[in-house]
Amino acid sequence: MGESWLQREILAPRRLLFNILWYGSHLFVFGYGWYSQATNHKLDGLNSLKWSVWSSRGAGLVLAYDGFMILVPMLRNIIRVVRPKFTWLFPADENIWFHRQVAYSLAFWSMVHTTAHYVNFINVEGTQIRPERALDIHYTQPGGITGHFLLTIMVLMYSTAHNKVRKQCFEAFWYTHHLAFFFMLGLYTHATGCFVRDSPLPDYQATFPFYSTKHCLGYESWRFTIWPGLIYFGERVYREIRARKLTRLSKVLVHPSGAMELRIIKPSFKYTAGQWLFIQVPDVSKYQWHPFTITSAPEDPYVSVHIRQVGDWTYGLGERLGAGPSVVKSLTAAAMKAYDRDEKSGISRGDFVELDPSSTSRPMPAVRIDGPYGAPAEDVFDSDVAVLVGGGIGVTPFASILKHIWYRQKRGNLGALRRVEFFWVCRDVPSFGWFQSLLQEVEAAQTDPNFLRINIYLTQKINEDMLWNIAVNDAGAEYDPLTLLRTRTMYGRPDWKTIYGRIRMAIETGQYLPGQNAELKVKVGTYFCGPAPLGRDLKRECLAATNASVQFSFAKEHF
Amino acid sequence: MGEFIWHQWARYVSITASVYAMWSAYWGIFYRKVFWDFVGGHLRAPGGLQPSSAILPLSQIIVKAPAVQIFALFVSLAMLMLELRLPPVKGTSLGRSWVVRIALLVVQAVLTILYYQGTNAAIWSLIATFGYIQASVKGEKEEDAKQHRGKVGAA
Repeated sequence: MGESWLQREILAPRRLLFNILWYGSHLFVFGYGWYSQATNHKLDGLNSLKWSVWSSRGAGLVLAYDGFMILVPMLRNIIRVVRPKFTWLFPADENIWFHRQVAYSLAFWSMVHTTAHYVNFINVEGTQIRPERALDIHYTQPGGITGHFLLTIMVLMYSTAHNKVRKQCFEAFWYTHHLAFFFMLGLYTHATGCFVRDSPLPDYQATFPFYSTKHCLGYESWRFTIWPGLIYFGERVYREIRARKLTRLSKVLVHPSGAMELRIIKPSFKYTAGQWLFIQVPDVSKYQWHPFTITSAPEDPYVSVHIRQVGDWTYGLGERLGAGPSVVKSLTAAAMKAYDRDEKSGISRGDFVELDPSSTSRPMPAVRIDGPYGAPAEDVFDSDVAVLVGGGIGVTPFASILKHIWYRQKRGNLGALRRVEFFWVCRDVPSFGWFQSLLQEVEAAQTDPNFLRINIYLTQKINEDMLWNIAVNDAGAEYDPLTLLRTRTMYGRPDWKTIYGRIRMAIETGQYLPGQNAELKVKVGTYFCGPAPLGRDLKRECLAATNASVQFSFAKEHF
Repeated sequence: MGEFIWHQWARYVSITASVYAMWSAYWGIFYRKVFWDFVGGHLRAPGGLQPSSAILPLSQIIVKAPAVQIFALFVSLAMLMLELRLPPVKGTSLGRSWVVRIALLVVQAVLTILYYQGTNAAIWSLIATFGYIQASVKGEKEEDAKQHRGKVGAA
């Protein structure tokens, strides 16, 4: 790795700036909350509780700040719209990361707030500045009740959102996270009755907001924190409406590798290359939405996604479509063995099979799609050279991008883009057979041999039999024995340092981009999708390669 | 998507509950109060709730001497040692046992419900207990995650 966790997570320049702003603002808000309580003479009664009430007020205000921020990164549609205009300011693609930072902070300040209140209430009972027992405040008044519920909801939401649980069983995370609805309700009503008041007893009334604000000297922060909640709720309703617009599953193709290609027609659905969508098939599961990368180009008359049958839902879908595991398994097995077969049968691994709905007893299922949602790869056409790196299954967004590039190439409308370097780092290539066939098409369509370069790296350990097999088949053959592309497969992990060094050198010596004006800085954009460790290495080497004449940038996509 | 693994989830809840128990026991030593003093107690101003004679034994071991809190502190630390797989228990049968965890969590719940600060710790400990019991009922096993690494396979 080369650098410590501290350097990477805390001290990297952008991270450091974020940390200063983020935690600095938290401390400032805490300080302000503390100060405004401690110096308010109307609250002298409460101030007799001293530091505990000051810290609970400070932490309470911080929690309002976090309660506001927690939903902001989840406003997916708004982010999609504002993202292109603000990429320079904040990494909007890191919205889930930011959501997590807010959650961590929410947990910490909840601890401070709750601890302080446990001290507050025991002292209220002891001094009787209000004629009530500590347990009255905890379990009979709105603040106490909602507080305990909020904490328990947090335990359930955080524990199921843990990386391992989420990866293991996405549904558990997905359903439990909808407790957020009750969490937000609890948050907005937490101050009902006003703990912070100058009267001994709460001043309730029959009309909204059900307590008189005359004695209420709190921050009444719900008036602000409720807005992201309302907008988020509106967004969910909007997504629901949009998903109900006319959508038709027009074709299902089963590729020899076992991937199902769903071609969906939805005229109201507009997207750009490299974006992803949520898909729902009510016949398989009534409520679940599953994210998939769009594999068609915007120019295609349909929206397609490629789905491999790997989990409950995707198996269920295969079963429903009449491409059950047995069908796919035989196809997959055939594809996996293909490299053993004689090349005489042609260069293709067999074509996909279209499932004919009339041959099966059931009609095509209804599908609903929601999206599209953003991905940094939309910016490909702004750079002179695009380096596209896909790791494993992370290669999927590049299907759409490569197709899109191909369409634009045909129209002669490539923007600033002059060259494309495509890297695919993969453990076992044959299981992504559908992607190979797409690459074949794109490769075969190239008229300028220098425009697109495909580099495939196979990282799996190879046993001796296979090694000889490859050696025998590779020598002198027109096509690579594994991928059936003209490009040769490379074995082992790519050495990014050398790769970027070479690109830079080639640009500087002028061979790479003929006719390039030396005055202008060449922009090389790297777009990555795949596992995190690979991304880290790549980012480090990519950014290290920047110099005066060549600017390297890095963007990655998350699932 | 895959099956929900109960013990995996229960572990996170258990860690949270134990940290809460530890923290509540620590504060409970300084601000001593019996949770159950509302049973038959009467409110005095100032002075707060005066426990009835029925609660007196509890009062002795919580307010007079914070024995329950200190005991809860030790239980929660032991629980954390188990859950975080610290060196003394790592790889031992004790460290892998869910029965030990269930037992300790129940003890932790019983102890923390007695004093004022520990209520949430008790509830969450019971949630974690529920998770571990589910894991045992479903016959889950702790897998050795490392055993599949570096395998040679057909591409």
